[in-house]
This record gives sequence, C-alpha cells and structure tokens, in this order.
Amino acid sequence: MRLKALLREPLLHFLAIGAAIFLYFHWSGGGSGPTSSRIVLTSGQVQHLAAGFTKVWQRPPTEAEVKGLIDDWVREEIAVREAMVSGLDRDDTVIRRRLRLKLEFLLDDAGAATPPTEQELQAWLDAHAVNFRVEPEVALRQVFLSRERRGDRAEADAMALLRTLRSGGPGTRLDDLGDPTMLPRELVLGPRSDVVRAFGQAFADQVDGLALGAWSGPLESGYGLHLVQVRERVVGSVPPLALVRPAVERDFMSDRRRRQLATFYERLLEKYTVVGERLDAAATQVQAGKGGK
Amino acid sequence: MEATSLKGLTLAVTLACFLPATVSAQAQRKEKPIVTDEGEINAEVAAKAFPKRGFSPYAGRNYPTRVLWGDEHVHTGWSVDAGAVGCTLGPEEALRFARGEQVKSSLGEPVKLSRPLDWVAVTDHSDAAGVIFEIRDGNPNLMADPVIKRWRDMMGDGRGVEAVSEMIAAHSNNKVPPAMKDPKLARSIWQKNTAIMERFNEPGRFTAFIGYEWTSNSGGGDNLHRNVIYRDGKDKADQVLPMTTFDSENPEDLWKWMEAWETKTGGSLLAIPHNGNLSNGKMFALTTFLGNPLTRAWAEARARWEPMYEATQIKGDSETHPSLSPTDEFANFEKWDKANLAGVSKQPGMLEREYVRQALKEGLLLEAKLGVNPFKFGLVSGTDTHTGLTTAEEDNFFGKHTGLEPTAHRYEDVVIKSPQVTIYGSQMAAAGYTGVWATENTRESIWDALKRREAYSTTGPRIAVRFFGGWDFDAKDARTRMPAEAGYAKGVPMGGDLQAASAGKVPTFLVAALKDPLSGNLDRFQVVKGWTDAKGAMHEKVYDVAWSGDRKPDQKTGKVPAVGNTVDVADASWTNTIGAPELIAVWKDPDFDPKLRAFYYGRVIEIPTPRWTAYDAKRFGIQMPADVPMTVQERAYTSPIWYTPGK
Repeated sequence: MRLKALLREPLLHFLAIGAAIFLYFHWSGGGSGPTSSRIVLTSGQVQHLAAGFTKVWQRPPTEAEVKGLIDDWVREEIAVREAMVSGLDRDDTVIRRRLRLKLEFLLDDAGAATPPTEQELQAWLDAHAVNFRVEPEVALRQVFLSRERRGDRAEADAMALLRTLRSGGPGTRLDDLGDPTMLPRELVLGPRSDVVRAFGQAFADQVDGLALGAWSGPLESGYGLHLVQVRERVVGSVPPLALVRPAVERDFMSDRRRRQLATFYERLLEKYTVVGERLDAAATQVQAGKGGK
Repeated sequence: MEATSLKGLTLAVTLACFLPATVSAQAQRKEKPIVTDEGEINAEVAAKAFPKRGFSPYAGRNYPTRVLWGDEHVHTGWSVDAGAVGCTLGPEEALRFARGEQVKSSLGEPVKLSRPLDWVAVTDHSDAAGVIFEIRDGNPNLMADPVIKRWRDMMGDGRGVEAVSEMIAAHSNNKVPPAMKDPKLARSIWQKNTAIMERFNEPGRFTAFIGYEWTSNSGGGDNLHRNVIYRDGKDKADQVLPMTTFDSENPEDLWKWMEAWETKTGGSLLAIPHNGNLSNGKMFALTTFLGNPLTRAWAEARARWEPMYEATQIKGDSETHPSLSPTDEFANFEKWDKANLAGVSKQPGMLEREYVRQALKEGLLLEAKLGVNPFKFGLVSGTDTHTGLTTAEEDNFFGKHTGLEPTAHRYEDVVIKSPQVTIYGSQMAAAGYTGVWATENTRESIWDALKRREAYSTTGPRIAVRFFGGWDFDAKDARTRMPAEAGYAKGVPMGGDLQAASAGKVPTFLVAALKDPLSGNLDRFQVVKGWTDAKGAMHEKVYDVAWSGDRKPDQKTGKVPAVGNTVDVADASWTNTIGAPELIAVWKDPDFDPKLRAFYYGRVIEIPTPRWTAYDAKRFGIQMPADVPMTVQERAYTSPIWYTPGK
C-alpha cells in the first residue's frame, strides 16, 4: 500500500511528465540547431537558393534544378554540422582568415554610412597636399642622332646640327633633320612623367635644367643623342578641392576605414586577456585593458 | 523690294542663264564648269580646295600612337588562396600599387613600381564571392525595422563600432532582424569589388577593369582557368553574379554564361585563358570538355569569346616548347613542363596540346575542317600574382604569393609539390605585362583593342612593338620617320588578316621595336611563321628579320649568331654596349605559297640581363645551386596576322 501512495505523489507525477517530455524531445532530435539532428528547410531558404541561381544564370531554376539545389544544400548542411562536431573548423587557416575578412567587411560597411564633410576633405587635402599635386608640365621638341648609324661621328654631328638649329628661324622644318626613330619628335604640353615614360629618368632630369626656348644639347638617353628645345613649362601646383575631390574623398575614406578598424579591435581587446608564454620561462600573464576575466 | 533691285535681279538671272552657254563654249577644251555665286568652279579649282594629303601631318590621324601598359591578371587577399597564404592586401591596395603609389607588402616591405602602369584588371577568383549582409542606407524596407533603424542612426552619429558590435551579437544569438535576411538585399563581395574598381577608374589617366577569374581545375588540377574582362562598369557588372566553378567546370558553360550576360545587360565580355602548360593536354584538346568531337558551333563560340590568350606569366612561359620547336634556340625559356597545377605528371601526347605556337598551327587545320578557326587568338600577358602586387620587373619581383615575397630562402621554397614533381621558387618567372595599342586610356578603348587583338605580350619590359602586314611594304617604309603612318595606310596591324593574294603578290611586313628605357638593348626582331600544307601537315619557321650590329646570318642555317652577354652576375648588372635601342625593317616572306593557310607573329628578343634570382643572390648574399638560371633574355610576342587563301 505504500507503493500506491507513492504513485499518487504529485512530485512523482511531475518528474514522470518531465522525463517523458525530455525523452520525447531527445527522440525527435531536439530542435534544429547545429548540434541537433533536425535539418529544417524553410520556404525562405528555398527562395534564397532559387534567387542565387537566378542571379547567375539569368533565369529561374526548373523543378529538377530546384531539387538539385535542395539536395546539394542538405548535403552541405550535414557536412558543415558533422565537420564542426569533428572540430574541422578549428585551426583551419582558410576559415579563420575568411571569418576575419567577413568581420572586417561588416565594419567597413558601417563606416561608409557617413559621408565626409567639406571641412574634413579640405583638411585632408591641406595635410597631404604632396599626394595631390598637379605634376609640372613641359612641352618639347627633340631631334635624335643615333650612335648606331654615326658611330664616333655622333657627337660632332650633334654639335653641327645644334648650330644649324640655333641659326635657323622658327620656320625650320625638323622633319628631315637627325635620324629616323620611333621616339616622339614632339611632346605637346603634358605631365613631366610623359618625358620619363618616353625617354627615361636621366633624360627627363637633364631636360629640367634647360632654358626655355633655346635649342640645347646634345642630351644623352638610353637611345642615343638628342638636341632638345623646351617650348613651354608649367610649374606644379596644389589644386583646389573642387578639382581633386574624388581622389581626396577616396584617400580620406581609406584612412577612416583603417582608423575605425584599429578602434574596433581595441574595443574588442578589452573583453579579452592575452596570456603569453615566454619561450625560456614559465607563463606570464599580460593584462590587456580593463574587464579582463 | 525696290524696283531697281528687282530689275537688277532679273538681269542677273537672265545673264546667268546665258553665262553657262558662253562660258562652256570656252570651256570645251577644259571640263564643264559649274556656276555659283562665287564664280565658277571646275575640277582644277576644286582639287585645290581638297588637297590629296593634308598639310598638317597630325590632323585626321586616328590610329593609336601610344602603347598602354597593363596586367590583366592580378589577385588580392580577397582570393581565397591568396588570403590563406597571408595576403592582406585588398583590391584597393592592388590598384594603388599599379597606379604607381608606394604601398606595404603583406610582409611589411615597402614597395613601388619603377613607373605606373596605365591599366590593370583585378581578377580575384569568383569562387570567393561569398555573401555577407550590409545595412543599406535609407532603404525603406530595412528602415521599417526599428532595430536596424537604430543601428543606422548610431552609424550616422559616428558610433559605427558599437553598431557593428551589436550586429555581431545579434548574429550569434540568432536575433538578426528578419528584414536583413531577405536574399534580395544580400550584398556580395563581388559588388564591393566593383565599387572599388569604379573609385579608381579614371578615364584618360588610369583604367581599372572589372573582371574575375573562373578557376576551373577539371579532373584534379588540369588548369582551364579563364579571366573574364568586362568592357563595362558597375551598373552592368552588378546585374549578374559571376559564374563559379561550383556552377560548372566546363568552359562551354562559361561561354553560355557570358552570352546570357551580354543579352541581359547589353554589355561586352571577353575571356582570356592561361597556363595551358599546366593543363596536361586539355587547353587545346581536339575534343570538347566532355570528350565529344569538335563542331563548327563550338569553334565559333571559342573564337568569339576568347580572342586573346595569356602567353607568359609567373607560372611559366607558354609560347613554345623545345620538343615542339627543336630548331628554335630561344624555345627553352622559363618552362614549367613536368606536370599540372596539382603536380600530376605530364604524359606523352599532352605537350602538343598546351603551347601557343602549336595551337595557332592547329587552328589553321581546324579552320579547314570546321570552317572556323577556334584558336585564332592574339597574345597578352599578366603576372597572376597572388600578393596584390603586379611586379614583373627582374629587380623588383615580389613573387607568386605572400609565401614567396623576397626573402633569403624563397628561391628554394616549394611552390608545387607532389609525389612525382617538385617546383621550387627559383623557377618562378618575373613576368609579364601586356602592351595595348589603344587610342585612349579608357575601358572601352583598351577593351576594343584587346577584342581586335591589337595588343601584345612581353615578359616584363615595356618594349614598344609595331607589326604590320600588307602586300606593298618596301624598304623605303623602314626609313620613313612615321612608320605607323605607312603601316596603317598600306597594311593591317597585329591581330589583322591578309586574304587571297593576287597573282605574284607576297606578304610583306613592316616591323619595328623600341627598347624599354629601363631595360636591355634589343638583340633581334624575328618573324615566326606557321603554316599547314595540302596534306594537312603543320610547319613552322623562325626568321631573323632585324638585328643589332653587323652580324651576318649563318650560311647554312640562316640564323643570326648570338648577340653576346654583358651581364655581371655577382653584381646583378649589365651594360648596353651590345644590342641596339631600336630595330626597324621591312621583310618579305621568301617561302610563300598563296594556296596555303599561314600565320605570322613578331618575337622581339633583348640582350641578356640579370634575372631576379641574381638580384636576390646579391641582395641577400646567398649562393644558389648551379642549375638556377641567373640571366634572362626578355622578349615580346606580338599578336599574329593571319593569311587565308582565296577560294
């Protein structure tokens, strides 16, 4: 009769019901989270798969293709769960670097939400004027003498040609003077880097020292000898913001992104304690900011 | 109107009616004049108003006069394999570097190009374009959710860091607002990428192409990679996500994707395959990807979508192979010929399906068989760098990936390893760049030049090369002061076609090359000819067409002897006391048969200069094994000109 009393005990009923619920829950796979054995495919998920397919192939998937997508997704979901249970996601360099990239992308988007102000851009331009300088410009003409063709006579020929050029008037036709070359005979007013590009750095440096208007030379380049007339020069300058706005904005935003990333990591570091082992001694504890656990 | 004027007018008109009669009587000896209110004009007078050739030699000139230098193949840390090995540079850093800015490499080394490039295509692997969520400013759908709105307001107040922290917490607790999960709002890495390309694309100054690499490694490492290059901007590029190899590894599916893209957006795409040398015979196979016979439709598709091929890069040079061109003394150059990308050994018969010269010849046979030449491609090059840094200069080479950036041991580090094959760092080639003859530095102009194949490949140096083919070039054209003028007027540039020779006519070529001011002098300009005969056999011959100094071609072989070598290996230096800074010539094919299909392309070779390994040895004070090459003869390969017989 004691058993009967026991069986009527509410606590026992309570425990039995609880056990039954627990057993049922366990048997049915217990929810559908990563550690459960339930894989739930919502209509939203299917829509997402179909949308992805459409964005690549420019048409919605057929029924057979949708089934293929679903089968593949289920397989992937199983693989991910099994892999994570086995710890395959830990210590995988690719996964770690990928996660870091995704995290930094989120921050990147957050920072881009606020456009820079006029004052911020002007201040950036003022502080970094050297990056936005408009290059000095130069316009020149050149007459080329080839060492391959003239050998030892090249220098003497150059001096003779220089005299001819200096004595000739502004109407002198240059076309037939000197030797044929693929090098440009004239550079119209353009950035100094065009001279470097066409003739090399050493030549451009020599041109910098020439007086305006006069035929000079011979200058040496990797190609041979040149007689050069600088026709125009424009000094470099720092442009107003209106002219270089896109470039300034680009650099400003890059810098802001960098600073925000640094701040982000600083804030996060406050949550952690970094403990370092010394190679030659026992572990020493390093407290990294407040709030270390 | 006054009465007198009216009278006058009547008189004038009456006279005018008679005038032609009287004048024409006089003019019977000459042409019949036309009467106008300015007097009469006739052919003589008219001819003076429209001279046959303009006075100004520069007016009316609309052909390209400048080479635009670039790299069509750059990876950044956003490519999974690059990021995995430690590349922390993204597309922005890659573009800044290509434009000439100084940046820090992933290992912290400051680095800068000797000169800016004019254009670049960042081609990260499309498989990397994952999906992340982004809060869209002011998007009414999202702002309806109070949580998202609060985050946006926090960002607006400069509290973006806190907002993101909350977002992350929400993710991890599975409390992401439903509106953010809508797939239509999902932003991909692709769209971040195109945004960066737009920010750095400056028409007229620097071109940043939108592009990606479709990285098919079919059957375990057989390289069938293609770079897809967009002519258009973000507005078109964002409409469709790039194709990945999860979608398909079959190039025919890539072409279908490209066609669907063009139809949807109205834009233009081309694809550039590379590394046939690592495809174990698949790149130029004589069956389709699925093993079926080639068809005309397949040939048309390949020819349409792939007008260019990457002939040289860090993972080896693909122009030709010594076993395929045994009499070409320049063929054994930077070869990666033992295996595929995964280190699986190459079997006999595969080499024949991997190299440019052989494929160009094969294309002639296929044209006869299928009616269309699927291998009618021009040549470009890039680095395929995975460091974000496009470096192809021997004295400034930052390697294939971050693990191979300059260190004392990189020459002996392993690049590819398998049970059968090991490839070491010293085997990397510091190559290459593409020179494009385009009229302006814009996406459209450069892309159009790539499409018509008016561009060429170099192993790094910026050698300016002209290659024109026509029926009437003569020695005078080689002495003219504006060879391009003669070239475009009397012939076609590289990438073009000559057809149906008239009786007695033989193809002539006007060729010219100008050295890179920072690199070695030029040794020689060669024309490589390939042709097929009536029996279906393939032939090739290399002709020396212009060379430096007074060397004489060998009596028996016809080849010009070697130019010499001024390289001081220990000092990693050389002198330009041999070779010539410029070469120009007109050449006529001495072995022409008008009934046979043929192609011709130019190959320009520099004098020997120090290889990047010599610079490493000097800078790090190391002694490398004897089998590591220390000198290199840099070269350029032009796109071909094809000859097709008449019916």
